[in-house]
Amino acid sequence: MSANIRPSGVFDVRYEQDISLNRTRGDKLLSSGLFLLLLLLPLLTVQGPFGVNLLPQLWIGTIIRIAIFAIAVQGLNILIGYTGQISLGHAAFMAVGAYSSAIFVRELGMSFWVALPLAAVFTGVVGLIFGLPSLRVKGFYLAMASLAAQFIIPWLLRYPLEPLTNGSRPLEVPVPALFGISFAHENAMYYIIIPLAVFMMLAARNIIRTRVGRAFISIRDNDLAAELLGINVFAYKLQAFFLSALYAGVAGALMAFESNSISRDSFLLDRSVELLAMLVIGGAGYPLGPLFGVGFVNLLTQNVIPSLIPPLNDVLPRLLPFINPVNIFAALSPLLFGLALVIFLIAAPRGLAHRWEIFKISWKIRPYAN
Amino acid sequence: MRKLILLVVLLLVAVTPALAQEELPEFIQHSECAVDLTGQTVTIYHFGDISGSYAFITQPLLAGLTDAMAYFNARGGICGATIAADNRDTGGDQAQTQAHYDYYSTLDPKPAAILLYASGDAELLREQLAEDEILAMISAGSVAGLYGEDGMSNGWIYATNPLYADQIGSFCRYVGANAAQFPENPTIGYISWPGAFGEAAYTPETIAYCAAQGVTILESPEYFLPSATDISGNVLNLVDAGANILYTNSLASGPFMVAKTVVDLGLEEDVVLAGVNWALDTSVGLLSRTALGSDGLPAVNGIIGSLPFRWWTERAEPGIALINEQAAANARSLSAQNIAYLLGWGAVDTYIELYIQTVNRVGSLEAATGAETRATLDAMQYAPLGLYSIDYSGGAIRALPDNRIATMMFLNATGDGPATSGDDAMKVDLPDGTVAYIPILVPLTGFEAAPDLRPGGADVP
Amino acid sequence: MATLTSTFTQHRRMLTRAAALAAVVLLILWLAPILGGQRSYRLVQSLVTGLLVGGIYALIALGIVIINKASGVFNFAHGWLMLLGGLLFFSFFSTANVSPAAAVGLPLIAGAMVFSTNGWRSLAARRSLIGVGGVTLVGAALLLLPGNDWQFIRAIAGAVIGGVLVGMVVERFAIRPLIGQPLFAMVLMTLAASELLHGVTQLTWGSVEIPLQVFTGLPNLGIPAQIRFGEDLFERAVNIRADLLVAFLLALAAFAIFVAFFQFTSAGLSMRATAENQKLAQSVGLRVRTILAIAWAIAALLATAAGVLQGGASSLSLNMPFLALRAFPAVLLGGLESVGGALVGGIVIGLVQEMSNLLFPGTEAGTELAPYLVLMVVLVIRPDGLFGQKRIERI
Repeated sequence: MSANIRPSGVFDVRYEQDISLNRTRGDKLLSSGLFLLLLLLPLLTVQGPFGVNLLPQLWIGTIIRIAIFAIAVQGLNILIGYTGQISLGHAAFMAVGAYSSAIFVRELGMSFWVALPLAAVFTGVVGLIFGLPSLRVKGFYLAMASLAAQFIIPWLLRYPLEPLTNGSRPLEVPVPALFGISFAHENAMYYIIIPLAVFMMLAARNIIRTRVGRAFISIRDNDLAAELLGINVFAYKLQAFFLSALYAGVAGALMAFESNSISRDSFLLDRSVELLAMLVIGGAGYPLGPLFGVGFVNLLTQNVIPSLIPPLNDVLPRLLPFINPVNIFAALSPLLFGLALVIFLIAAPRGLAHRWEIFKISWKIRPYAN
Repeated sequence: MRKLILLVVLLLVAVTPALAQEELPEFIQHSECAVDLTGQTVTIYHFGDISGSYAFITQPLLAGLTDAMAYFNARGGICGATIAADNRDTGGDQAQTQAHYDYYSTLDPKPAAILLYASGDAELLREQLAEDEILAMISAGSVAGLYGEDGMSNGWIYATNPLYADQIGSFCRYVGANAAQFPENPTIGYISWPGAFGEAAYTPETIAYCAAQGVTILESPEYFLPSATDISGNVLNLVDAGANILYTNSLASGPFMVAKTVVDLGLEEDVVLAGVNWALDTSVGLLSRTALGSDGLPAVNGIIGSLPFRWWTERAEPGIALINEQAAANARSLSAQNIAYLLGWGAVDTYIELYIQTVNRVGSLEAATGAETRATLDAMQYAPLGLYSIDYSGGAIRALPDNRIATMMFLNATGDGPATSGDDAMKVDLPDGTVAYIPILVPLTGFEAAPDLRPGGADVP
Repeated sequence: MATLTSTFTQHRRMLTRAAALAAVVLLILWLAPILGGQRSYRLVQSLVTGLLVGGIYALIALGIVIINKASGVFNFAHGWLMLLGGLLFFSFFSTANVSPAAAVGLPLIAGAMVFSTNGWRSLAARRSLIGVGGVTLVGAALLLLPGNDWQFIRAIAGAVIGGVLVGMVVERFAIRPLIGQPLFAMVLMTLAASELLHGVTQLTWGSVEIPLQVFTGLPNLGIPAQIRFGEDLFERAVNIRADLLVAFLLALAAFAIFVAFFQFTSAGLSMRATAENQKLAQSVGLRVRTILAIAWAIAALLATAAGVLQGGASSLSLNMPFLALRAFPAVLLGGLESVGGALVGGIVIGLVQEMSNLLFPGTEAGTELAPYLVLMVVLVIRPDGLFGQKRIERI
């Protein structure tokens, strides 16, 4: 593992050094510097306080979306990447988080700051319920249980809970406020979402290094052996389900309060599949995997594919004269996305984070890297 | 082999100015240009579901936009400015909608107006459009999308057809006024697709208004998935509960499945079919060729619904004549000759007038922001190609009220009227090797204002 | 938590049985009065419709089971295989004159794929070349049948050749490179394959909504479009849709063929052996690659059949792939590896769906809730399904 590899000449002499996340001063500078830089970004946009147009406003929205999805995918990573349990219903848990936080605020008059953690815990409990079949089944069968969640939860939101959720119509979500400051603008929401996302990512990374996290990994690697070692497999699996759903809940709630409106349609099966794809592309079982995956998929669907479509739309009719050109435009985005996924699964099944680790190691142990 | 159809791309439009300029026909009366925009470009931003459930309708819309842009660009564009298009595919996924919207709304210069399609997209983007001051045009919408959750807040989305709620209101009013044509105790069973669009016409206000017209709407609506194999359970649930009219707020295979099931169950005599303006579409008529009623005509024969615009057959209208001529010139297939193609033309013509008026007032294309464009639209009175009349009453309303009730029939063999039986119907060979009956729409009423059925609307009892 | 779970594990069997019994009793107590309040013709109609719709589900479930049986992959792309197969059928059904290039090219490529399942090199063998030539000749001859009289034979030939080709291409280029990867990579690969199939479908046929006129000929054969019965018995007539009846009978026939295939043919037996243990099968000389390819080809054929039948019963549209999602509970209910289970599972899910539609009107309970509740119950009570092999690793 790269985590144990130091640059040449750096040694741990104290326990604190051994367990610290940032092992060298360079690491520390880099990570806190990056965080500060991230916090500065909204100030550089046209809608920021200084009104300077150094950074396109689109970036802020994009970074927010990446952060929210990274939280959700990190939840999936805890479940799939570390504990080895498949979930096809992660979007449904996001819906639980989004709707419960909105309902807490709308119906119970809670403030956003109370509703967010409450909704997260509530989503965790719902996740726990759908994790119960893991008592009896595992692997693919468990994936099917989560698929059931993906249909049962939206149904519950649509019919029995309609008075609270507005059914299939969108639910308006109030703007969060703190000490009279309204977080209506995305530049303001940015300062809620980004620190929270950074915190959640670090928390996930730390959970994995604790007793719980090691138990997760042992279950993933060999559940029978884990049980023989005295690990209560079932209890730890439930904890993984709880944590995973909690992350989804936070992401869902943030999504609701960011767009100030939630719609049941944004949490259907295709969203779950997309989250799964993000995890695999980023690298399951790596703390940074979710970030890489979300970033890459975002880049792919928002930049690469739209910019490839016009030239391909021009060239393809000439290459494939038997194809009706009107079809090409619509076909390109599923084709390119599927192709990217297939290439990743075949060429880099351990994801971008794995590549990144390899790169980091070779940098650290230079000049001995090959 | 039918001629290939060209699709809209930004690049494509660059060639058109080179062609010889032609004159616009007399009947298209744009405002005089006070500013010459030659050399500039006005982009129509549009995103819609091109690869998902609604693609069947969206592709003809793109065809209409393309043909209309080519036509107008060859005739001077907007005061010399070229009309271009930027289309993006959401695949019916709201996250994609959001992402594409983020892209459009942060462009520099920011678009003044965008063209929307799905009710769900409108509901999602409503607040953001207002915040970003971008005008959106949609063909028809739900209450929540146009007027917000309380139904009283005018947003930045403008529909060119009556609200779905108002359309079912028009239908109820027609039933009330023509009770003799309908079963006794007219009772509507609402059957549709689940989702923002399918459920848009089932609201407390429409139930109350219809009740006032003597028409009951059953309390439990039935929703079926577009992929359903059989919906006889849903239909029988409604019929058992007393429905003698089935109203559907769906399109393409939706009305077709309802009609087919009614025929299958032998309920043709007992049940009247009705639906939203999309239910009276060419696509529905063409789909229905696998399900023929006992008269030998497609099962959807006689479905009643809204027709808030001029239709393909009304060729006495010069605008319709022009669209017919252009569709033929561009070799558009029968299935592309539908509502969306018409509305594509209407949208382009509206854009032209909207921009001419705005630029005349503000002096340049750069100054024509969303807010200015909206001010123009609020005050504008214009009938794009005569398809429908734009008049948002100084900004008081967000959906055009003009509506009429029509029925779908099929052309007879001699081509001079509706067929009375399958033997009498005109059948044409389609390029895919099958035979189609040609659907025609027959207006049952003239244009009149649809009831205003948003929450707190003028006509809510 | 720990003590709670350990008590639970100790008395697991007893506890789950008691819970299951209580649940069943409650369910009966709850449903019986609602069921009793229904009109008789509705009950019979829902049973009939459920059974027939279940036939389509069974056909879809069978395709998923076949792949799972041979290779342990649960195929999420099955719905797109259905649509693609249905569209291939449609194209050859409605085109009176197939272009010679397509008529030769399609069977040629399909033949090359079939005879190179074990590796491209095996194409060089004389036997393979003769095989490919034969397939091409026969295929081209069938596809070039002119006019509308032969449209069914032409369409079936085109759909079979095309279906086999698609199934084998997916297996060769998407599934085979992943052998040995973790389960979720496989799941994701089938999802990626469905994106690709979506793209290919849209590229070739566009945004379609095509009424497939396969059943319009039924009245000419003396089969009425609907069969009505029980007018006097049930107060109103009960209706059987002929198109769904045909689909149901085809599902039964497919079921019979596959039971025979797995019991009596060497290919079927080796497929079962491969499913049991791939390495072992390889070591006793079975050609595992060939067997996997055959499984995918068969599954694609079943998907094609389901696509054609569903296309005839409603229409060929981009929504069709979602239908396959509703067959998943059927697969699990019957047991992941059970051919018979797929049939029973499909029918049960069809019945559950129609009965819930009847009992809970206006809630979409039939399509959106009930099948997945059944799925959850199956997972908790009997995870290996009704007829599945009892080899789920207990935890």
